[in-house]
Amino acid sequence: METSFAITGKGYVIVASDTTAARSIVKMKTDEDKIKVVSPHLLMSYSGEPGDTLQFAEYVERNLRLFHIRNNYSLRPSAAASWIRRSLAQSLRSRKPYSVNLMLGGFDVTADTPHLYWIDYLGTMTEVPFGAHGYGSYFALSLLDRYHDPEATLEEGLVTLKRCIDEVAKRLVVSPGKYKIKVVDKDGAREIEM
Amino acid sequence: MNSIANRFSTTGPISELRKAQFHVEDDEFADSVWGSEAGFGSLAKGVPNFTVPSVSDPSAFLRLHTDDFADPNCRIKIQHGTTTLAFRFQGGVIVAVDSRATAGSYVASGTVKKVIEINPYLLGTMAGGAADCQYWETYLGIHCRLHELRNRERISVSAASKYLSNLVYSYKGMGLSMGTMICGWDKTGPAVFYVDSDGTRLKGDMFSVGSGSTFAYGVLDQGYRWDLTDEEAQELGRRSIYAAGHRDAFSGNTCNLYHVKEDGWKFIGNYDISKLHYDGPGETPGAGYGYGVRIERNSAAAAATSITVQA
Amino acid sequence: MSRSYDRALTVFSPDGHLFQVEYALEAVRKGTCAVGVRGKDVVVLGVEKKSVLQLQDPRTVRKVAMLDDHVCLAFAGLTADGRVLIDKARIECQSHRLTVEDPVTVEYITRHIAGIQQRYTQSGGVRPFGISTLIVGFDPHDTKPHLYMTEPSGIYSAWKANAIGRSSKTVREFLEKNHKDDLSREESIKLAVKSLLEVVQTGAKNIEISVMESYGKITNLDLTQIEAIVSEIEKEKEAEAERKRSRLAATAAGQASMTSRATEATSGQ
Repeated sequence: METSFAITGKGYVIVASDTTAARSIVKMKTDEDKIKVVSPHLLMSYSGEPGDTLQFAEYVERNLRLFHIRNNYSLRPSAAASWIRRSLAQSLRSRKPYSVNLMLGGFDVTADTPHLYWIDYLGTMTEVPFGAHGYGSYFALSLLDRYHDPEATLEEGLVTLKRCIDEVAKRLVVSPGKYKIKVVDKDGAREIEM
Repeated sequence: MNSIANRFSTTGPISELRKAQFHVEDDEFADSVWGSEAGFGSLAKGVPNFTVPSVSDPSAFLRLHTDDFADPNCRIKIQHGTTTLAFRFQGGVIVAVDSRATAGSYVASGTVKKVIEINPYLLGTMAGGAADCQYWETYLGIHCRLHELRNRERISVSAASKYLSNLVYSYKGMGLSMGTMICGWDKTGPAVFYVDSDGTRLKGDMFSVGSGSTFAYGVLDQGYRWDLTDEEAQELGRRSIYAAGHRDAFSGNTCNLYHVKEDGWKFIGNYDISKLHYDGPGETPGAGYGYGVRIERNSAAAAATSITVQA
Repeated sequence: MSRSYDRALTVFSPDGHLFQVEYALEAVRKGTCAVGVRGKDVVVLGVEKKSVLQLQDPRTVRKVAMLDDHVCLAFAGLTADGRVLIDKARIECQSHRLTVEDPVTVEYITRHIAGIQQRYTQSGGVRPFGISTLIVGFDPHDTKPHLYMTEPSGIYSAWKANAIGRSSKTVREFLEKNHKDDLSREESIKLAVKSLLEVVQTGAKNIEISVMESYGKITNLDLTQIEAIVSEIEKEKEAEAERKRSRLAATAAGQASMTSRATEATSGQ
């Protein structure tokens, strides 16, 4: 089952997503990257209806890139999140809405602060210190309520993330095998191996 | 589905209408003109116009008349059962499929070509609605050729599969049913993409699609290595399709095998699955893939060795 | 269609000219000069910058624009028309990535831009774009640099080196004389600057140079770098002139001595 987590810490956001692409009972692929680096300091994980997810994520990616090329700077995380939410909300009211859930983690280089936005397919958006989508969220949210620390270093943050992944692996019936983990901080976005 | 024919016919009410529309649109600066194709678009405009039944909800209408699970007496039965597989390895891409077409519980045909030869460098496989796969992959072939003419280079497998995926995505929810692998060789080497009618598009080393795919995966996953030789890889493809043809009621009859190399695809052969069971791909009775056949062979071999030991 | 008849501004003249397109070319000829030079594995764009007014912010006046990571465009002619065309091209670059996943090739985007320009010569109620463009870049998975030019008529063509805009004929002739195949990075830059100096009298401060070395690697030279190149070129020119002068002087002296010797000879008789 699709699962994604994201947590903020001192000067960074970690976004993690499982890497399986399934069709009925078959795993078609086990190394699919479902976190896009949509601009130099912005990560977006996506899950939901197959097809919609990638189409919407690529649409976002290309539009943010176009903004960058036109204006020579990137949208700040708050602005990008608002634009993405609005795109989803507009699509919701169209003939064929995108059913996509997103976690948007970014680093605002102008204010030197990390930001994390939780967005669902209905166009709900909220800024959160940590968040999760999918069945994993039923385990991870309470765990993070207990263990999350917004002032944690990156190492500590990764330990907390590991707790989430281990908990889901332990308790969820069809838990995902592998996760892709990406971090964004003042130096930009990068992938982390666990 | 007869839009291509309409487009080329010069008489008849539909072409009259089309001509009229064309002139009206040509006069204005439609947004699509500045969109992705700027005057270099497709045969007409973007995707072909799809004639849908003039009812309020075409996809519900289609389901009503085609869903043989809900109503076994429905008039149109769409083919479903299939096993297809494709995998990438050191020596290119192996594509193997079965040849059975079923409509409900009835075997409609045992000699279906489930590999669609898009062009000398691209193959598509067919699972789901046969007509949908055949039509849209042929349509894809037209566009691959146009791409070649415009850009003076062959289309990449990635671009071709993306084109197909965008196309079927634009019809999402309208009843298309396809699960296909687009396989080929381009500047980046051998490539396999899985595209389905949900709009999913996955790049990968190995895929299998259809009702028999689980059985095929069972053999394929265990026998797969990147550095297989050409012969080993072809054997693996054949064995996997045999396995599915043997276990899955909706797959079977024969196995068609293709090998894509740098200089394009090559048809390797057509193998009767019952014959594979007893005799294997060659003409040697007793060399078959079947469980019983294999055990018998093993015990015979064991007996032979024990005899030699005794002697 | 009777409707397009009276709306069209671009109508053939009886001898087969499209005057609006030719006037657009005239607008290009009035625009500031732009030069493109293709080297061995580098491609250089040089443009003549208009002097900005004392209180104007020079950063807002740009004639070289990135279309995507690997394609760059310079234009000559009506700046406002250029902006519109550049935006259309940028959208197409992203749209192309969205539809086929691959970035555009340089030829593709050139053809697209030329296609837009062409449409504006064959439609009712519009006027052609008053710009020519130079498009440079690298194709994905390739190391060969490309240089293309488009015109208001919608023509596009590939070049080793070319110039558009004011006095482009002089500059092109200069390039024809001095361009060699397989120029190095430094030689290409120098040739671009040198050719621009043919029409830019004010020197380095009115020249802008962009260098693309490989896929996605582009640098804009700053003023001091350009000044260094200009002074180097001037020194070379001076040395050349000096040599010429001394050669002239030498021949003059030789001639003078010959004549004097001749007179001596005659006087000696």
